[in-house]
Amino acid sequence: MTAGMAQSQGWVTRYFKAFCKGFFVAVPVAVTFLDRVACVARVEGASMQPSLNPGGSQSSDVVLLNHWKVRKFEVQRGDIVSLVSPKNPEQKIIKRVIALEGDIVKTIGHKNRYVKVPRGHIWVEGDHHGHSFDSNSFGPVSLGLLHAHATHILWPPERWQKLESVLPPERLPVQSEKESLHGSP
Amino acid sequence: MFFPGSLATTLKIECIVEQTYGPWWQSLHRTMLRGILGKTFRLVGYTIQYACIAHCAFEYVGGVVMCSGPSMEPTIQNSDIVCAENLSRHFYGIQRGDIVIAKSPSDPKSNICKRVIGLEGDKILTSRPSDFFKSHNYVPTGHVWLEGDNLQNSTDSRYYGPVPYGLIRGRIFFKIWPLSDFGFLRDSPNGHRSPGD
Repeated sequence: MTAGMAQSQGWVTRYFKAFCKGFFVAVPVAVTFLDRVACVARVEGASMQPSLNPGGSQSSDVVLLNHWKVRKFEVQRGDIVSLVSPKNPEQKIIKRVIALEGDIVKTIGHKNRYVKVPRGHIWVEGDHHGHSFDSNSFGPVSLGLLHAHATHILWPPERWQKLESVLPPERLPVQSEKESLHGSP
Repeated sequence: MFFPGSLATTLKIECIVEQTYGPWWQSLHRTMLRGILGKTFRLVGYTIQYACIAHCAFEYVGGVVMCSGPSMEPTIQNSDIVCAENLSRHFYGIQRGDIVIAKSPSDPKSNICKRVIGLEGDKILTSRPSDFFKSHNYVPTGHVWLEGDNLQNSTDSRYYGPVPYGLIRGRIFFKIWPLSDFGFLRDSPNGHRSPGD
């Protein structure tokens, strides 16, 4: 009887030790991967229609967020990026990069007609103008708030696609200091 | 140390050795190869594991930071070593008078170390010391107003405006070097900067 009890206790201790070992290996690796490499997120809202969430609240798109691409804070005009909202640090917003530092943008609904993007900042806008809380409301955002680059739509399966970095021609900056990837306007 | 080229050469030599020499030589080479490969994978595995634990510790708990620059004198001198904790940032517990580390608004790759003078909604004196007419402004939602303790020699919110809360990385609460100044950090030497306090 005593030998049997000792054996089962030994089994519990061994199981507990193996669980702890796996836990302390798996959790930090998973958390680091989700923070530094890539994660997925559900898009809510209509500010990026028709590129994201064209069906409105019926079907929310799920996008792949790539942290690794923005680890050096390098973005191009036309990229769809997620960033920490400057007005509410608990929230992340997803918008398109319209202008980089040094560019002069013609704003839509901002208090100044033309804005020069300061050093270390970017100008972001949602594709659905008028239904978007973006740089036209809160001005240029600091690159330090950049969270990830949205590269693919993963769900629903019929909308599985790579998100292209395309800048609508009417939103090209009035004047740019840096060379654009897609040729000069 | 273990490049793919040298690995291929090692395998080639092993095949030649197998044909030329006897079974004793073969088993010795096979054990050595497996031992080296096994050790390499174990080393890589441990490195990844400890790097991930370090990332989680620095990101979610805190770490040790060395400050440089004169903008926080006399509270923090150049080349002081301080302890920063990140729990306040995640639980939104940053208060007026805290010294914080934040990403610089104009250069996301560098960090700044300043004191929080005002939270969102506070009324702040925003004019520079050289201005004759004093101007006041309210700190917008989601932002904080940062100033260095060394007001004469500090580039802070008086220069680049309010800083979004999302740029804050941690709160400095303890100094560990130099030992003559070991301990919790003092309050601001500049008194209260917001009117009606």
